Amino acid sequence: MASVAARSFVFRQQMNTRRFDFASCLKIKSFYSSYSANPKEKSPENYTQYHEVSSDNWKFVERLKPPTVVPSFPKNGSCFSDWTPPPDTPPNLPYFVKRTKNFMVPVYLNFEAVRNQRKITMVKHIEGDIWALEKAIKSHLEEVTKRQVVSQVHEVAMYIKFRGDYVLHVKKWLLNAGF
Amino acid sequence: MVCYLLTKPTNPLNKKQNKKIFWLLVEEQLPTTIRPPLPIIHSRKLAFPPKFKAPRQVWVSNMDTVEEEKLGLIDLHPEVFAERPRVDIIHENVRWQQLYRHVSYANTKMRYEVRGGGKKPRQQKGSGRSRHGSIRSPIWRGGGIVHGPRSPTPYFYMLGFNTRLNGLRSTLSAKLAQDDLHIVDSLDIPTDDPSYLEKLVEERGWGPAVLFVDDNDIMPLNITAASDSYGHYNLMPVYGLNVYSMLKHHTLVLTLAAVERLEERLLFHLNRNDAASAGQKYRLDSV
Repeated sequence: MASVAARSFVFRQQMNTRRFDFASCLKIKSFYSSYSANPKEKSPENYTQYHEVSSDNWKFVERLKPPTVVPSFPKNGSCFSDWTPPPDTPPNLPYFVKRTKNFMVPVYLNFEAVRNQRKITMVKHIEGDIWALEKAIKSHLEEVTKRQVVSQVHEVAMYIKFRGDYVLHVKKWLLNAGF
Repeated sequence: MVCYLLTKPTNPLNKKQNKKIFWLLVEEQLPTTIRPPLPIIHSRKLAFPPKFKAPRQVWVSNMDTVEEEKLGLIDLHPEVFAERPRVDIIHENVRWQQLYRHVSYANTKMRYEVRGGGKKPRQQKGSGRSRHGSIRSPIWRGGGIVHGPRSPTPYFYMLGFNTRLNGLRSTLSAKLAQDDLHIVDSLDIPTDDPSYLEKLVEERGWGPAVLFVDDNDIMPLNITAASDSYGHYNLMPVYGLNVYSMLKHHTLVLTLAAVERLEERLLFHLNRNDAASAGQKYRLDSV
């Protein structure tokens, strides 16, 4: 019977009914699942003290947070890495290779086929005459490496893939071309 | 604005006469729109201004009058409205929209569900016939189906975020390129009469089906009442914009507020750097 009484008390607490009888004095189980079931807040001197910091200091917190959007790069001044900013005017060519949102040259090294054996160099963000660009890069790579280069031109998605690891060569070519 | 009949019709059931009188009164009592000198809307500042791509310019029209009045000329961001339309991505989006909520209720019974078949038909040896354990095994006529459809089969999957994003860009670009995109200042119309909307759409040569998109999801009363009787004039908030609806409706009409919100959202997602961390909680295949 006691277990039944306990369960009924618990159920009543969950139902948040206020009945001041003997059972409510017993504290068998407390489910703080709602506002009225929780003990009420006491006066401030029962709790630890706090003081408000000036809201001017929030800027020190804000500058620690990383920016969600890439800020624009400084126009003048050299970077200690080998990154070069995109030029202000596009080169006079029938194609254009746009920089990524982080102002990087869009050349990537993919590992394709079973167990990542095949290295593929991918050039993305191409606009304009993609075949002319493919011809230009391919002839340059064949000149540099002195071997045949296999390529794929995807006209719908506008990317070019070269079989092999030519990322540095392609990036260098694109930077020289003025992209 | 209330329209009332000045003369009592001879036959209250003469709907044609009523309509004629009613429409005359509507035409009389429409408030004349007085405008400041045009152009009212001059220019728009583009977020993430494009470097080498020219912004697309579109007219901004009004909804106050049946005849189109151009209120100004604004720029649209080329990365949202002038992107090379990827037909394969549009197809993927349409397929996803149709399939993700599809549940197949087709069902076939398996051998343990088909009625009967618990008893061995005949003893294992001696009869000269082939051996069987149950009359409902899949090799039997009337037996259970092995790899048949099992109800309910969900076809839910989530298309990648960037695929959906590029689907919106491609469709908006295609709509603009094909002259099926129109910008209006707001969706406020002077009357809640459905025929006003029909006349407006016919006059301007907008397609049979028109999708009106606004920033707020609570639309003005008049256009809500006017478009209610038509299944092919639909109102939609910006957050409900999707590839399937844009293709289903011939014409897409955006308000200025909708354009601002749409561009702000799409450009934010194209230029943000914390997409991986922000999308972590929505990943379906990882905890």
